[in-house]
Amino acid sequence: MKNILKKSIAVVAIAITLVSCSKSDDAITGTGALKVEFENGFADNALVLGSATVPTSQNEVLKISSVKYIVSNIVLTKEDGTTFTYPKDQSYFIVDEATPSSLLLNLTNVPAANYKSIKFGIGVDQAQYDLGQTGIANFWTDAQNAGMTWSWASGFKFLAFEGTFTSSTVTTDTSFMIHTGKTGTDYNYTEVSLNLPTNALVRTNITPQIHLSTDLSQIIDGTNKINLTAHNGMGMGAMIMGGADLPLITANLAAMFSVEHVHNDSN
Amino acid sequence: MKINYLILFILPLMWSCSNDDSAEYVDVPLELKVPSNFPPLTYNIAQNPPTEKGFELGKKIFYDGRLSSDGTISCGFCHIQQNAFTHHGHTVSHGVNNASGTRNSPSIQNMAFQTQFMWDGAADNLDFQPVIPLISTIEMNGNFGNIIAMMKADPNYVKLFGQAFPNKQINTENMFKALSQFMVMNISANSRFDKYRRNESGGTLTADELAGYSVFNAKCATCHTTDMFTDNSFRNNGLAVNPLVNDIGRYRLTQLPQDYYKFKVPSLRNVELTAPYMHDGRFGTLDAVLNHYSNAVVNSATLDSVLNQNGALGIPLSTTEKSQIIAFLKTLTDYQYITDTRFSE
Repeated sequence: MKNILKKSIAVVAIAITLVSCSKSDDAITGTGALKVEFENGFADNALVLGSATVPTSQNEVLKISSVKYIVSNIVLTKEDGTTFTYPKDQSYFIVDEATPSSLLLNLTNVPAANYKSIKFGIGVDQAQYDLGQTGIANFWTDAQNAGMTWSWASGFKFLAFEGTFTSSTVTTDTSFMIHTGKTGTDYNYTEVSLNLPTNALVRTNITPQIHLSTDLSQIIDGTNKINLTAHNGMGMGAMIMGGADLPLITANLAAMFSVEHVHNDSN
Repeated sequence: MKINYLILFILPLMWSCSNDDSAEYVDVPLELKVPSNFPPLTYNIAQNPPTEKGFELGKKIFYDGRLSSDGTISCGFCHIQQNAFTHHGHTVSHGVNNASGTRNSPSIQNMAFQTQFMWDGAADNLDFQPVIPLISTIEMNGNFGNIIAMMKADPNYVKLFGQAFPNKQINTENMFKALSQFMVMNISANSRFDKYRRNESGGTLTADELAGYSVFNAKCATCHTTDMFTDNSFRNNGLAVNPLVNDIGRYRLTQLPQDYYKFKVPSLRNVELTAPYMHDGRFGTLDAVLNHYSNAVVNSATLDSVLNQNGALGIPLSTTEKSQIIAFLKTLTDYQYITDTRFSE
């Protein structure tokens, strides 16, 4: 009897040890970092500021001088379907093609986990706007330095896409400017959801990098086709900062991004 | 026993520490009383409840020219209390480096009861309104980074931010919240008309003024509704377009053709003090304003339908009716408000 008891205690003890061993192997704990890289392109080509793009389906050729957009409200979904929302008031980034450091977002204090998808907004969402200055926190300084404040339609430019274009009827380089943001009639915020081809494995010692490709042609040549020539009726350039086409452009933005690949490199 | 003595020795030390903390200033909430004849409050007060020091800080910011790029233009420069916080005598307002704007400064009274701000509605949340003049290159041309650095270097700001906000931070969020607190408390509700409406002493209107009120209700109150005297809508009131400026109004904001030449219906409170009138300050007197409505309305694609009754443009007004309306409008002057030292520089 004593022996049996001793043996069973030993078995239980070993089992506990085993379980605890395997648990400590599997448990993902702590926090890590995650990087999200934006690579802007146009159709199938890399973006070269100031160089002619391939023609759009509207047969317009663009020379893009500047492209900037606000990335916000980053939400990561884990393998088990639960989500991690990056703190909203720290979740304002401005991606600016002319500032290389801005193309790589560094997210810190991300719970270690296997993430299968990423969602983010382009702009400042209406819920935050409705909170007033509480919702904006201290994004003003960065936004103003990046030229993304909008002094005549309160708040921010969500996306600023500028340059010149030509078409069959507009034969000399003519400026275009597309600014999305809150207008008197439309809010123009949009969200982008992307599944990752490989899980991003955030660990204390692994900082995954999600590499996103941006096809800027989608802004005007996506589901909704925007004809810049038609916006140049007065010959003063195509300036789209409101009106019926702005929500159509906003709708196009959701399809502008794709995941190129995910690196899971040790720190 | 030894331990007990130790505790007896430590306890008073702890008390004295907490006494030091409580000696620190504790901010006092300000009560916002909604006058009984006013429409409901539109500002989300729960997000930014006004306090004594928040208001005081907001006032300091409001009157500080150092927010502008050349150190000269404060909010109060174009919003002068004795003119119900408008820029009296200026058709359009001036900004830094002697830049000239294209519009007349609107009043900032009773902002917490309105839903649209600026002549074209560029802001529809009071918290965001000050951003526009603050960063506009022809107004204050301010730079947030410089402004925050200036405030951090000023002991008075350091003290006030510390008292007004629990996190004591000098940053844009708290700066704008303080400005909102100052504006939210900036209420004009004690004109003779208000007292008349609330049956308070001093609320007596003359026969002429009462006649004016009834003409006003019949002919003006379609747009100038409620005791706020605005329906917060945007309308083309038939002003001839000034070709030198061609201010397209709300179209600038929406780029929708139906919004060409539309401007916000302004509140008429203290209107006696806020000349010149209209978005570009083109009319120097209330007579001129009424003459516009009776004789000078210009037709266009977006002219408000109430000003075009079967081809008859404008609002028919007799000379007597005009003088009665003006007599009535002068009852909206709130002398207590324009001399209230709480709002003074």
